[in-house]
Amino acid sequence: MHGLSVNFGHVHKALSGVDLTVHRGEFVALIGASGCGKTTLLNAIAGLVPVASGLVMVRNSPPAAGRRDVCYILARDALLPWRSVLGNVEYGLQLSGIACEERRRRAMAYIEKVGLLNHRDFYPAKLSQGMRQRVSLARAFAVGRSVYLMDEPFSALDSQTKLLLHDQLLTLWESSGTTVIFVTHDIGEAITLADRVLVMSKAGTGVVEEIQIDLPRPRSAEALQADTRYHDLYRRAWASLRASTE
Amino acid sequence: MSDLARSEAGLNVASRAPGGRSGLIAVARVVSLLLILAVWQGAAGAGLADPAFVSTPAGIAQSLWRLLADGELASNLGTTLLEIMIAFAASVVCGIASAVVLDRNDWLNRIISPFLTAFNSMPRIALGPLFILWFGIGIASKVVLAFSLGYFIMLLSTLGGLKNVDRDLLLMSRLFGASGLRLFRHVRLPWALPGIFAGLRLTLVYCSAGAVIGEMIAARSGLGLLVQTFSGRFDVAGVMALILVVAVMVMILTSLMDLAERHLLAWSKGSTDVPG
Repeated sequence: MHGLSVNFGHVHKALSGVDLTVHRGEFVALIGASGCGKTTLLNAIAGLVPVASGLVMVRNSPPAAGRRDVCYILARDALLPWRSVLGNVEYGLQLSGIACEERRRRAMAYIEKVGLLNHRDFYPAKLSQGMRQRVSLARAFAVGRSVYLMDEPFSALDSQTKLLLHDQLLTLWESSGTTVIFVTHDIGEAITLADRVLVMSKAGTGVVEEIQIDLPRPRSAEALQADTRYHDLYRRAWASLRASTE
Repeated sequence: MSDLARSEAGLNVASRAPGGRSGLIAVARVVSLLLILAVWQGAAGAGLADPAFVSTPAGIAQSLWRLLADGELASNLGTTLLEIMIAFAASVVCGIASAVVLDRNDWLNRIISPFLTAFNSMPRIALGPLFILWFGIGIASKVVLAFSLGYFIMLLSTLGGLKNVDRDLLLMSRLFGASGLRLFRHVRLPWALPGIFAGLRLTLVYCSAGAVIGEMIAARSGLGLLVQTFSGRFDVAGVMALILVVAVMVMILTSLMDLAERHLLAWSKGSTDVPG
């Protein structure tokens, strides 16, 4: 992948003239006030909303829903209630056309990575929110796509569970070498996870500020809480976010 | 992390199944049944109730025995059961198939739905004599009558189940690359399954009623015909014995369905929504 560029205007002026380039293997977080078009931008990259004008390219081809190299993680876990944890992780692999035995092997490996091996036969209704989102992460990373789009996947979680999931996401991402575009309204989350935090303008005209997160990896979400550099970045992002809404 | 995992696991272990009491409940059920039968028999014996109108448990048992002994029950029960099974199978297959078609074609649904509502609002039992006229006094007319009741129940409950599929599940599947057929197989159909099962149970009850009522109008054999004959003779015990047979038959079929449901819908039972 040679990075993707987004230049487009939306019919309802949800977004207009947005420019964005994300490099291969990069973890980019998009933050912005609610209604600034973060999710719309993500949906455009996923091929879920038509692009009115401009050009969107993902790995040198236009976006399309259901592409074999892109994976979208929704805000809600969207687990099939009639499948166990194992069945749900296998589902993504099954839809990707992976053979049965390989499916089982890979699903088990990723369930282990998110620490749910003891719960593999549980139905989603018996799991907590945090556990469900971990299943959703396992399902997504098990299919091994090149680009991951995430739309506030942790917004429904309490802050402690969030930190746990940040660490798991970072572990999954670091071992996969994929590109991630992560939409959130949580500044701390963006700084913890990303290489680069992009602050979007409220008017939907794109990125107003780009903040490089030069915190060393591997990172620990909990250890970062005590890191002064983390707090400096937090203040900077916060000031930028406030400026973007004025 | 392991602390959290452990506490989450603990919460799940804490959600124990309400077992252990089922034996007690079974005993209580048998006792209640015996009590009702005893009061009934006693009231008739003491002259508080006229056995000519309400019969007695002993009288019903006697009639039942007579029906069984002379083989009358077996042959008539066979006819009725055959009608019910044909009508039930046809209702289920046609009902589910039409629901799927209507769910996928909104324009067709919009054209047809007033006609469906109109036909479903008709008292089908009142059409019984017409069905006899059109399809003869054999089993065909009873099957049609039972089907006309069962089909709509199956159609509407399946359609209801298919209607409000979770959009996130569809979107997620589509983003993973699911085809239309797979969306149906893996998302829409399982989602509609609880609705389908609710429909199956009702359909069975209505198909049984349709078959028996059809036989009561005009038939060559069947439990409904026997009911008609016995009530013509004011044989209250005989009528009640037959009603008991129909009820037991439907209960057995329903419990078979419950068994299948428990297996297929295990996921929907005993959810403990633990936040965090």
